[in-house]
Amino acid sequence: MAEHTVAAFDEDLGQISRLISDMGDLAGSMVGGATKALLNSDNALAQRVVSDDAIMDARQRELDDRAITLIAKRQPMADDLRHVVGSIRMAGDLERIGDLAKNIAKRVGTVGLSATPRDLSHSIDAMAQLVLIQVHGVVEEYAAGDASALAKLRNDDERIDVKYTSVFRELLTYMMEDPRNITACTHLLFCAKNLERIGDHVTNIAENAYYVLTGTQLPANRPKQDETAMSAPAV
Amino acid sequence: MSQMLSPDMTIATEAAAKSKIEVKNLNFYYGQSKALKDITLSLPERSVTAFIGPSGCGKSTLLRVFNRIYELYPKQTAEGQVLLDGQNVLDRSQDLNLLRTKIGMVFQKPTPFPMSIYENIAFGVRLYEKISKAEMDGRVEQALKRAALWTEVKDKLNASGLSLSGGQQQRLCIARTVAVKPEVILLDEPASALDPLSTAKIEELIDELQADYTIVIVTHNMQQAARVSKQTAFMYLGELIEFDKTEKIFTSPREKRTQDYITGRFG
Repeated sequence: MAEHTVAAFDEDLGQISRLISDMGDLAGSMVGGATKALLNSDNALAQRVVSDDAIMDARQRELDDRAITLIAKRQPMADDLRHVVGSIRMAGDLERIGDLAKNIAKRVGTVGLSATPRDLSHSIDAMAQLVLIQVHGVVEEYAAGDASALAKLRNDDERIDVKYTSVFRELLTYMMEDPRNITACTHLLFCAKNLERIGDHVTNIAENAYYVLTGTQLPANRPKQDETAMSAPAV
Repeated sequence: MSQMLSPDMTIATEAAAKSKIEVKNLNFYYGQSKALKDITLSLPERSVTAFIGPSGCGKSTLLRVFNRIYELYPKQTAEGQVLLDGQNVLDRSQDLNLLRTKIGMVFQKPTPFPMSIYENIAFGVRLYEKISKAEMDGRVEQALKRAALWTEVKDKLNASGLSLSGGQQQRLCIARTVAVKPEVILLDEPASALDPLSTAKIEELIDELQADYTIVIVTHNMQQAARVSKQTAFMYLGELIEFDKTEKIFTSPREKRTQDYITGRFG
């Protein structure tokens, strides 16, 4: 893309891009840190994730300020307008990913106190790996401007939903086997739900990024595989 | 119609848009130099169409072809067709006075006649119609109301048109245009010399007038084009580059040249 006649316009847009990229990296490290802390009962790491959330919030506020100022000063049009508005929305999703990672991190202490968390959290590990791939992927594909990769990535959320359904069932089984697992499993269930929600926010980001890059929206429907709501009454 | 660059098919269907002006293969020359290159487009009735593009792109020239005002100057020639309700206005047989009552024009610089506010409006009407004093009073009032100027000037209709502010003068010119009951109104940068409040009044007026008139506006102010028009044509170096619904042009234009221009990336 050619440069703007007014060079400061490019600088302003560049700063917004950098903030999104920073927030994306931070979201990735928070999700990675939170799951690692959960799986290893690493309280120090969990604490770091919790404090990182303040940085995430500050970045989002800075991005909001810059975006609003840019709109007021420069009245962006077409791809510039999509870029700015899309960034505001993506920042909102990234901030929520930070919140959810923090929530997982806060549960590390409680889960760790219960018996044998490692055995119980095995399938969460696999789910977390899928989520991490998605978080890193969406940030990278947007930076690379690859719209078709974003469309594919959005559909890949289905795999997380499938995994979540199986984690849900597995944890229910553990709880039925031994009521002493209930506290830990309930916390793990919330962690799994948080991971599933993170996947949904990644999906939103992918949709936004696709619109920013192409000017067209992805179709409204994508495959949904979260069956826990259906399986719940049977328990 | 089907082979014309009309603002995509959805516009045509949703407004049931009958086209008011159809331009077909229009070329225009200032002496030897070609200012418009094979322009073909169709302007829907009772709707606002904006022409945008950098200086010298031909947007004002295109506007000036519609009412053949270019003929006031030597060595300017147009070829092709400009159909107003199916009639080619470029035909030799076209009555120019009649054409210009049907297609009114307002310029960048307000051009009130050096006469009273009342006469500014009555003058044009009298050229085409014989009406009584009472009818003329009614016509002047109606035109001034239409141009949202009535409340400001109703107590000083005999004051000179030149005594008004720039924004008021421009609205007086619009009132004068409206008074002769045109079908099409051409606006060539109508607000570029006005302050923001007067500009807003002109834009509000354009919004209201489109219920009854087909309006074409040339503007350098992109936000203004985005605000007032239903469809926008982007021109560059005498060519029509892109013509589409205004929201499409300003959110995701199809052509890179359009995108570069409206985002301020022109080399």
